[in-house]
Amino acid sequence: MSEGVWRLVEVFNYLVLVYFVLLHTIYLGTSLFAFGALKRYALRLKSLDLGGLITSSSAPPITLLAPAYNEEATVVESVRSLLTLEYPEYEILVVNDGSKDDTLGRLQQAFNLQEAHRVPTAELVSAEIRGVYRSRRHPHLWVIDKENGGKADALNAGLNHCQTPTFCAMDADSLVEPEALIRIVRPFMEDASTIAAGGVLRIANGCVVSQGRVVDVRMPKSFIAQLQVLEYLRAFLCGRMGWDALDSTLVISGAFGIFKRSIVVEAGGYSTDTVGEDMELVVRLHRHCREREIPYRIHFVPDPVAWTECPESVRVLGRQRERWQRGLYQSLMRHRVMLFNKKYGRAGLIAYPYFFFLEMLGPLIELLGYVSFTVTVLAGRADWPFVVAFLSVAVILGGALSLSAVALEELSFRRYPRVSDLIRLFGLALAENFGYRQLNAWWRLQGTIAAIRGKEGWGKMTRKGFATASPPEAT
Amino acid sequence: MLLTDVVRALELTVADTALLVISGVIIALFGVTILFSVYAVALRYRHEQRDRLWADLRARWEGPLLDAIADPAAIPTVQSLVDEEHRLYFVNFVLEFSRRMRGGELAVLRTVVAPFLEEIGRRASHPNSQVRTRAMQTLGTLGLPAYEKHVLAGLDDPSPLVSFVAARYLARAEFPQYGRAVLDSVSRFDGANFRFLASMLASIGPTISPELRARLADSERPEWERAVIAEALMMQREPRAGDVAAEVLGQTEDRELSIRLLRLLGTVGRREHLEAIRARSTTDDVFVRAQALSAMGRLGDERDLPVLIAGMDDDSPWVALHAARGIREAGGRGVLFELAQTELGYAALAGQVLYEEPEP
Repeated sequence: MSEGVWRLVEVFNYLVLVYFVLLHTIYLGTSLFAFGALKRYALRLKSLDLGGLITSSSAPPITLLAPAYNEEATVVESVRSLLTLEYPEYEILVVNDGSKDDTLGRLQQAFNLQEAHRVPTAELVSAEIRGVYRSRRHPHLWVIDKENGGKADALNAGLNHCQTPTFCAMDADSLVEPEALIRIVRPFMEDASTIAAGGVLRIANGCVVSQGRVVDVRMPKSFIAQLQVLEYLRAFLCGRMGWDALDSTLVISGAFGIFKRSIVVEAGGYSTDTVGEDMELVVRLHRHCREREIPYRIHFVPDPVAWTECPESVRVLGRQRERWQRGLYQSLMRHRVMLFNKKYGRAGLIAYPYFFFLEMLGPLIELLGYVSFTVTVLAGRADWPFVVAFLSVAVILGGALSLSAVALEELSFRRYPRVSDLIRLFGLALAENFGYRQLNAWWRLQGTIAAIRGKEGWGKMTRKGFATASPPEAT
Repeated sequence: MLLTDVVRALELTVADTALLVISGVIIALFGVTILFSVYAVALRYRHEQRDRLWADLRARWEGPLLDAIADPAAIPTVQSLVDEEHRLYFVNFVLEFSRRMRGGELAVLRTVVAPFLEEIGRRASHPNSQVRTRAMQTLGTLGLPAYEKHVLAGLDDPSPLVSFVAARYLARAEFPQYGRAVLDSVSRFDGANFRFLASMLASIGPTISPELRARLADSERPEWERAVIAEALMMQREPRAGDVAAEVLGQTEDRELSIRLLRLLGTVGRREHLEAIRARSTTDDVFVRAQALSAMGRLGDERDLPVLIAGMDDDSPWVALHAARGIREAGGRGVLFELAQTELGYAALAGQVLYEEPEP
């Protein structure tokens, strides 16, 4: 290679170094904001009387929308967990999105469903409804059976049948903790301008589940799942908590978030032409409210928990991450008008640029950086201070930041009580930087490329089902 | 300045300088994250120590406290078990316990904890608002009326959270004497959820109802505040609120207030209020119209059925739903049954409402 090309490679190497430093500075910044916010929140929690809120008439009625597609392995256990929620007034709407397996049959058998009428209250576009059912045993449990149209389409069908001022979007395969609903709804009670709030997702793999509840929190046995425990801690406690402290929440997980129904319907419901309908909705709500000068707040609440089963095979995990990245790309490109646009407040000036440059374009820079670094080292053109700086920032610093997520968990909720779990989390924080992180960047790059090419669809996601401590409820 | 000097002294190139700066940032970031990790380990250690202490203290106090609840003569025994350095732990322990107690049992807990509340009283003026919030909760649950001065002062606290918590604990039927102070503080909470505020006011109990009615009628007050009051009266099912609600409904154009008044009339109104309600059944606002039809159903009879049946054909599904429920409330189950058998567009709605459980 000519000297000019090497010069370009050298400049690029430095740019990658700057990218890593910037990325980690922002991670650390959000972690520090999260640290302050979690400390305040821990004190705030002490003065909350959840029992009082549950028994008072002040909590708004909620509809839980749980789309289900081929969830026969977990759907009954999940619905059972929803039926045990401690909340004064709520309905459950399970939307069977044209499942090809026996999801509907399992529900019919377990909850004694019978056909019923339920007239739509909104006209969001969704695939054809085949039938509406209501449980004889639990009158607040409804099942809508519809043609397959995807998760967003199923949520829209549920929204069309929602009769309460707020709704909770969730996955039918997640287990919501009994007090989670009253915890997540608190911002709606305290601040009338609240239009959405997101809760925390935690990994259920390895945990012991009984009667729809996680009764013993344990680290998963699978190494891939263990790495995801750490990732989720980092994403929720460092990332989302930090962005919330900056009043710039752009993502509420589709597996557990609560919304004001009227504003979501007004904004057009869920977008059916993206696989990242959860993020797209939140970004659109920012736009909708800002453009119409509607006062609004979008919150992240760190203690309501929904447990979810994560992939344990590399192939399924890869598909999931590729899809997440496509969703991110589609959401950001659709609302690119927000980029550095002060009209959209902090969401447009801080959060959107972060997601655009560091989350969306980051994998490309990161992977090219690894290649360029390797080439430079192999050609003997790298001086040792650069090598040390690159490795520090690309590997060791990433691990150290993951450790901060473990620290935040210790500061706040301590869901993994065993000392061995803490030690394992520390080990994972270092281990994930040797291969897993690079693999993740590769999947995400594939996702970006697929999104640019216009790929659609979710890909196959198989569920094992939860490890139960006792036999299922007799039907 | 220092960096420029270093660059000049070492004769560094641009690339070296960039590397130097980046390395500095990396070392700083690394240092902070290492601190985080050390902090995590320290926290784990501290938490485990505290958990052990808590478990010991609980084991020491729980039995004697239950004995004291069963027999108040045992109160001095449980008090004697509290060491000087564990007084705050004891207060927190009793506070946690008190959430499951009511009436006489709660009174015993208040007596048990009374000698230990002095420190909490001091915390009511702590510089940290979260500490003050916690103090309001503790004194509000266990320290009234002895510490009423502290909690009432909390209503004027610069932190909205502190005043909110103070108001919530003062708004209880067992302490009606604080009702007016709570009511006066409502204007501070204009950002809070209607239902939340109304529920707080309703929990003061029937002694506050005359004052609520007077404030609802007071046109000088902000409309959102009157809307909260109307909702509170509805939650209280205050039978004498119907007249004032009908009167105010005839005067106001405010959307939120109209909705709350119609809900109130639907709950406690009488037939003579129907005229005021009917006047709103044709308004352009969907939610006002829906509430009007709902109230008509609750107060009306067969004579109102034609309007309600027409309401089922409304463009808004909300108006149609409320109209259908109104028909059921007005004793028109037979009509709904007949409608459900037809080919009309709202036949399914009639079927749905017939199937529903009536609202309480």
